[in-house]
Amino acid sequence: MAANRAKWAGGLALAGALLGLVFAAYSTSDYAAHLDRQIHAIHCSFIPGAPVDSGEGNACKTALFSPYSALFRQSFWGGVPISLFALGSFGFFAGFALFVLLGGARTPKRALQFMGTIGLTPLLASLVMFTISAVQLHAFCKVCIGIYFSSGLLAAAGLMAWLALRDDASQASPRPPGSALMLGGWLAALGAASVLPALVYVSTLPDYRPMMSSCGKLAVATEAHGALVKLPTSSPVQAVTLFEDPLCPTCKAFHERMVVEGVFERLDVTLAMFPLDNECNWMLDRTLHPGACTLSKAVLCGKERARAVLEWSYAEQETLRDIAKTNPKALRERISAKWGADVNACIDEKDTTVRLNRHLHFAADNHVPVSTPQMFLGDKRLCDEDTDLGLKYTLAQLAPQVLP
Amino acid sequence: MSEATQQEATPSLANKAGAALVGSLVGAVLVLGATLSVRGMVSGAADRMKHPEAVKKELAVAVADDTEAPYCTPAFKTVLQRVLNACGLVGSESRRGCQPADVKTFASISDEDFNALFTPLKDRGAVLMFDDGKDDLDPDGRKLLEEKWLDRKGARYFFVVARASKKGNVDMNRALSHRRANSVMLDLANAFHDPDLDKQVGLLWLGNEFAQLGKDWCEWPTSREKKSCSPEAINRSAFVSWVDCRL
Repeated sequence: MAANRAKWAGGLALAGALLGLVFAAYSTSDYAAHLDRQIHAIHCSFIPGAPVDSGEGNACKTALFSPYSALFRQSFWGGVPISLFALGSFGFFAGFALFVLLGGARTPKRALQFMGTIGLTPLLASLVMFTISAVQLHAFCKVCIGIYFSSGLLAAAGLMAWLALRDDASQASPRPPGSALMLGGWLAALGAASVLPALVYVSTLPDYRPMMSSCGKLAVATEAHGALVKLPTSSPVQAVTLFEDPLCPTCKAFHERMVVEGVFERLDVTLAMFPLDNECNWMLDRTLHPGACTLSKAVLCGKERARAVLEWSYAEQETLRDIAKTNPKALRERISAKWGADVNACIDEKDTTVRLNRHLHFAADNHVPVSTPQMFLGDKRLCDEDTDLGLKYTLAQLAPQVLP
Repeated sequence: MSEATQQEATPSLANKAGAALVGSLVGAVLVLGATLSVRGMVSGAADRMKHPEAVKKELAVAVADDTEAPYCTPAFKTVLQRVLNACGLVGSESRRGCQPADVKTFASISDEDFNALFTPLKDRGAVLMFDDGKDDLDPDGRKLLEEKWLDRKGARYFFVVARASKKGNVDMNRALSHRRANSVMLDLANAFHDPDLDKQVGLLWLGNEFAQLGKDWCEWPTSREKKSCSPEAINRSAFVSWVDCRL
């Protein structure tokens, strides 16, 4: 009975570890692909090997570009993805599970105790990440869920290992205890396995510093009519100009990233609205974000509440986008209900149209790419790649004073 | 230890050692394999970053710019460019506007061809009409001018082409059309206090010497829709329009 339980524990742990290894490998591969500073589609399926998904609402993309997907972002471009640690530890657990599976009744007690205790750590890490997904990201990445599930299998195997140990009490031939030193050895091996992929990853990273200043400058630093918006922040130390679209998901993620990293409050922000909506923006032959012109005007009309209106647009972005696509009148009602009739009326005023037009001409005068978000540190444009994965590293290099 | 017990213990020890060996080897192979593949992924990304041509061609991003409308033909842009160069919008800060002699020289085209260039602007522009011998805009003229000015969209340049009717002599009409052009400019300056006005407004005054408008221009949006329009009346005017061309 105890031998069987131990074998089941080993088998279950092996399945969990191998599955976790596969999901961690996909996650790592998606992350590492972006180290070339290009845009790539991302795997997001419960089925390993399923095609990549390039959709804007891809939860795995949300997770990957979130501040929680990597460590040491300030020291390395893109940071060290946490999936690397999962990759190494699942590899170790696969080997350890095989040892328990093959050892069966002769597997030392220490090994089962180790599996029952340390086998829970992937689940604890998964619980932390699950909580972050639920509370901070409001999105559950399928590849991440695959890793959570694999960790759950390992934890179940650990529980089974404890049951096997309990059954030993009633066995005629006792299981060998094993040396206490083995615990230390396994722990060291787990630690080494967990950090080895990360160490190799870091040592192979190219030098990104020469790329950081290669994305242009603001040719016209100020808008002659004073049409741009100043966003209030608590302790501004660095002037930046942002080009943003209230209905652009990447802008939302970028804004949230800066807020979470503690960077935003240290910026002296000049905001240029750049809605990707051809209702007002002549630079597009089709509308990417219907309703973005209206919400951009709402930000302008918000006056001293401009930041609040922008952040509300980001917070309610999915709902507002859905409403704007089907019922522009309902979008106006939402704005009126939240920000008052004055703001709603201001949206229709000619002055507001002219002001928004000036924002767009500011973009045209500077020949910025037709994309959002864009950030200029002083007059120097941050490359798009440096506003997502490489943000913290880039800021550490170019404007360390904005990092807390 | 009895012989029987020794015989039992030997295979179990061997099993245990074998299991540990297999487990260790498999674990090591998996961890090393994963590590090497990570190294390969990062190196591959570094190579793509150093040689991005193929990838970047596919991902060329549009650049923000002024509107380029279909009517911006090479002939139109040639005249436009000459107007901008000759009339003080580009480069020189010392002069504003072009008079008939300048236009005749730089346009290098016939009156009809010159007017035909502006035909596609029918929906974008308007004709502001003046009283006989006068250069001040009436309230309807000002209203239409300001509406057109505010409807800038993606245009960079605003053209004002002032004329005078055939009535009177050439010198008087040249001066009159000049005053009409200035009157439009002054109204824009007073209404909007736009610091970029000088960089945006191209002034041309043609008197009655060049490119007179035909009666068909009475069909264009004018500031006197309700009044009768004649070939003389339509030339007592300033044509205004944003021009949606990149230069």
